[in-house]
Amino acid sequence: MTEIAILVVEDEPEVRDAIERDLAPFQGYFRIEAADDVADARDVVRELATEGIVVGLVLCDHLLPGTLGTDFLVELHGDAATRGARKVLLTGQAGLEDTIRAVNEAGLDHYVPKPWTAAGLQGTVREQLTEFVLEGDVDVLPYVPVLDGPRLVAAAADRGWEGRRT
Amino acid sequence: MYSIERMARRARLVVTSRRRLGLVLGAVAFAIPFVVDFPDLSEPGHRAMAVFLLAIVFWVTEAIPLFATAALVMFLLIVLISDQALWSLPGGYEAPPFSSIYGALAHPVLMLFLGGFFLANGAARFGLDRSLARVVLRPFGDSPKMILLGVMAVAATFSMFMSNTATTATLVAVILPVIASLEPGDRLRVALALAIPIAANIGGIGTPVGTPPNAIALAALTDAGFEIGFLRWMAMAVPLAALLVIGAWLLLVRAFPPSCASVSIRIDAEFDRSPAAWVFYATFAATVALWLTEPLHGIPATIVGFVPVVVLLGTGVFKARDLQAIQWHILWLVAGGLALGLGVTSTGLDRWLIGLVGWDALPGWLIVALLALVATAMSTVISNSAAANLLMPIGLTLAMSDAVAVDPIRVGFMIAIGASLAMALPISTPPNAIAYSTGTVSTGDMLRTGLVIGVVGLVMFLGVGPVLWRLLGVS
Repeated sequence: MTEIAILVVEDEPEVRDAIERDLAPFQGYFRIEAADDVADARDVVRELATEGIVVGLVLCDHLLPGTLGTDFLVELHGDAATRGARKVLLTGQAGLEDTIRAVNEAGLDHYVPKPWTAAGLQGTVREQLTEFVLEGDVDVLPYVPVLDGPRLVAAAADRGWEGRRT
Repeated sequence: MYSIERMARRARLVVTSRRRLGLVLGAVAFAIPFVVDFPDLSEPGHRAMAVFLLAIVFWVTEAIPLFATAALVMFLLIVLISDQALWSLPGGYEAPPFSSIYGALAHPVLMLFLGGFFLANGAARFGLDRSLARVVLRPFGDSPKMILLGVMAVAATFSMFMSNTATTATLVAVILPVIASLEPGDRLRVALALAIPIAANIGGIGTPVGTPPNAIALAALTDAGFEIGFLRWMAMAVPLAALLVIGAWLLLVRAFPPSCASVSIRIDAEFDRSPAAWVFYATFAATVALWLTEPLHGIPATIVGFVPVVVLLGTGVFKARDLQAIQWHILWLVAGGLALGLGVTSTGLDRWLIGLVGWDALPGWLIVALLALVATAMSTVISNSAAANLLMPIGLTLAMSDAVAVDPIRVGFMIAIGASLAMALPISTPPNAIAYSTGTVSTGDMLRTGLVIGVVGLVMFLGVGPVLWRLLGVS
């Protein structure tokens, strides 16, 4: 069983709080970390790595002080350790060119335009983390209550328990 | 809400330390017979005991995966006690040919099981499980209690031919939306989540291909010269299993009374009408029909079992990819147990072990009951197949020895049944783990219902079984 983190990168405190509030259902199943700019986010990623925690999902704003959100996503995509993380832009201000760059060079998985709804964001997070959990070499059953249960259960049976307990 | 993060850290620690402990214990256990001289036990017997002890430790602790232990057992038996042993064996000892140990991998009963896997995997691929579930559940209406019974009937029937785990996964996926739609305090949620693994575990008892312990029993019995046909196994198992499912339903309805008035199950599934699907349906029906009519045509189930393999591969319905997707590790695990049985019996270790206890003081029924109970107890904490693998050779030798008067078929059958009746803990079987993962069932709920059903099931099969079998003429 691996621990998985959700990384939120958002510079405005109220917006960050709102996102974190909407992520409450995932609390306890995933480590939720927030950063207010890319430099901070890099530190968080480094720290998680030393604890042996993988980043499963990045919810990233685009217009950030210093490095732009899409550039950070491209950076994460280039690093083997974070390449597998699902990448979501949560922004109102990413132009067409930046978005294209994020899709082509960062493997962007989803785009959530601001303003968002709690249910919509939770749906996206659930879907993206389900993909992440299914792609990885992790025990999927613990995530049944919080992610796409039917898909995880079916996958667990397919994996044949790696020959355990049959 | 519990914290997965903290649990993950603890689980990882527990698993690694258990594995490490298992490796060390296994090595020590393996060494014992080479250091200690057991009186009256032959040199080959000592070597077989080393392998047997290692298998016990590895299968209990899962120091390495179960199927890896099976491979290791085969290898060690070949190099230690076969006619190709690397260290010379005493004269007068009839070493089993090493090919017979490898041969366990292609035991006829494993071929029967392989056929079962073809049918089950095809059913999953063509969505036959979901579309059948939809049809079968319809007449049960929308009353919560009837739906619960319907789900259990489907789970039990499916798991007679599919693996208990795949059955549970299919049906849990179906009821997860139902559970989510119910009021949080509605006990029907618990009942539904528990009903599926319980019914799937019981249903697995029903046919020789229902669950690996059945294959282990059948194969070991075949090797010992006792044949049970497909239909005879079903005649012995299905009536009692059906009663047990109904009993479990009554228990669940009583313990977790639903508070809603009606409930609806939606299954989005249409019958696949592609040509490949039709070939599969026909093969499925023909295979099952041939299994059920064995007394009429006399073709053994182990040969019929190869029919779906030949037809589905020959028609291209199953491709290389599907052949690779077969659960080979389960066949290997069973084969490891068969090889172990061969090693234990051909070296005389089994007779020596049995000689340690004065069995003749015990009545036959008590011996059967004890073996079944031990199988249940072991399977509650370790893999059902591993428990059956370890108990079967000893149990059968005991049944065939002069010391006791018990029917070997009953012993083999009851060890398999006992293993399947273990369902008290989330770790007892994969179906339990899946049900537990829904987050609606507490360990306490599972423990209480699992214990009651296990005990009632044992009493039924041990007490009512012999009477019923005599009436049915299958005793």
